[in-house]
Amino acid sequence: MSLTEELFAYLESTHPRSLGGVREAREVAPERFDAMCELFLDWGAAASGDNFIPGAVDAFVDFSNDVLMEQARYERRGTYKRSTFAECEAEVYGKRDVMDHYLWGAYLTNFLWAHHVDIAIFFEDRFLRRVAKDAKIVEIAPGHGQFGIWALTQRPGTTLRGFDISPSSMVIANKMAAAAGVADRAVYERRDAMDLDQMEPDCADVVICSFLVEHLEQPHKLYETIGRLLKPGGVAFTTGALTAAHADHIFEFKRESELLHLAEDHGLRVLESLSIGPSRTLPRAKQLPRSMAMLLQRRKHDHW
Amino acid sequence: MDVMSRLTEVFQEVFEDDDLVLSETTSAADIPEWDSIMHVSLLLAVEGEFDVTFNTSEVSGMKNVGDLKTMLTERGAS
Repeated sequence: MSLTEELFAYLESTHPRSLGGVREAREVAPERFDAMCELFLDWGAAASGDNFIPGAVDAFVDFSNDVLMEQARYERRGTYKRSTFAECEAEVYGKRDVMDHYLWGAYLTNFLWAHHVDIAIFFEDRFLRRVAKDAKIVEIAPGHGQFGIWALTQRPGTTLRGFDISPSSMVIANKMAAAAGVADRAVYERRDAMDLDQMEPDCADVVICSFLVEHLEQPHKLYETIGRLLKPGGVAFTTGALTAAHADHIFEFKRESELLHLAEDHGLRVLESLSIGPSRTLPRAKQLPRSMAMLLQRRKHDHW
Repeated sequence: MDVMSRLTEVFQEVFEDDDLVLSETTSAADIPEWDSIMHVSLLLAVEGEFDVTFNTSEVSGMKNVGDLKTMLTERGAS
């Protein structure tokens, strides 16, 4: 039985309510979904060891349910649950057991949520082709490391430095890089994304930063950092969440233009973008939770 | 009204089906509309009806109406 078949069998037997959503994700692009599923599950199983599917799928279901519950409460309350980084650090990022479960859940959402399949395809089709074969990549807040490791496997001459505040990220991302066969080209360092001011400017050909901006009190500082680290002409892939609640989302973006402006205000040109939400929302929802990906380029000229 | 009767009313309202009849073994297999999104809608309605709050593991781990009833009686619902 393949890992994908094992995943569907486990969902069907243990979490049948979540099965329809994953089937919907497969319907987005069946061949691409199957390929991503096998690749990413294979890395996960190699990194995590025995019993990967049950543990990771349980984490995915918990993550997804938590998102839905928080979204429903956000609809009622009108604001996200938390507003400071310190609260999230105390309740989520600093707790190893909570964060391990969180990261494996988040990992699976990248290819088991239908709208995130589109984001993954955007990454592979639109972004990766712009990554030079010998590019120096900086990944800010890699978490489980998936996007950066994917780039490393597709571009064998590239190298990556990743910075994340979470101790869990250091362990999981290193194991994932080893599982994908790119450990010799990936270095992860525990460091706050808001504390990269000391890094040499123009040191990266490529920056990857996925779903960090909504976790920050001062999101402009992130784009300032990306604009500073990228060489002129270098490219970045960033994603962010809009009107999409989660336990550790603290900055509420409402419009796509807010993310576009963050990039444009910090020396970055928006080459392409994709904003996408789930096909179904909670009954009577006023908000459409969206995920937005941007393909950015550090400007070479004063005016674009 | 006992817990099961109150739960039945909540289920009927959430799933917009006045003929819905519950037993402790009723699960998503018996109600086709009971997917992950409707599950959250249902539990939020139950939270409102019984003035309780569920945590993530309870939301994910609840297999059937019997599990839900047990969670409520453990919180003092009657």
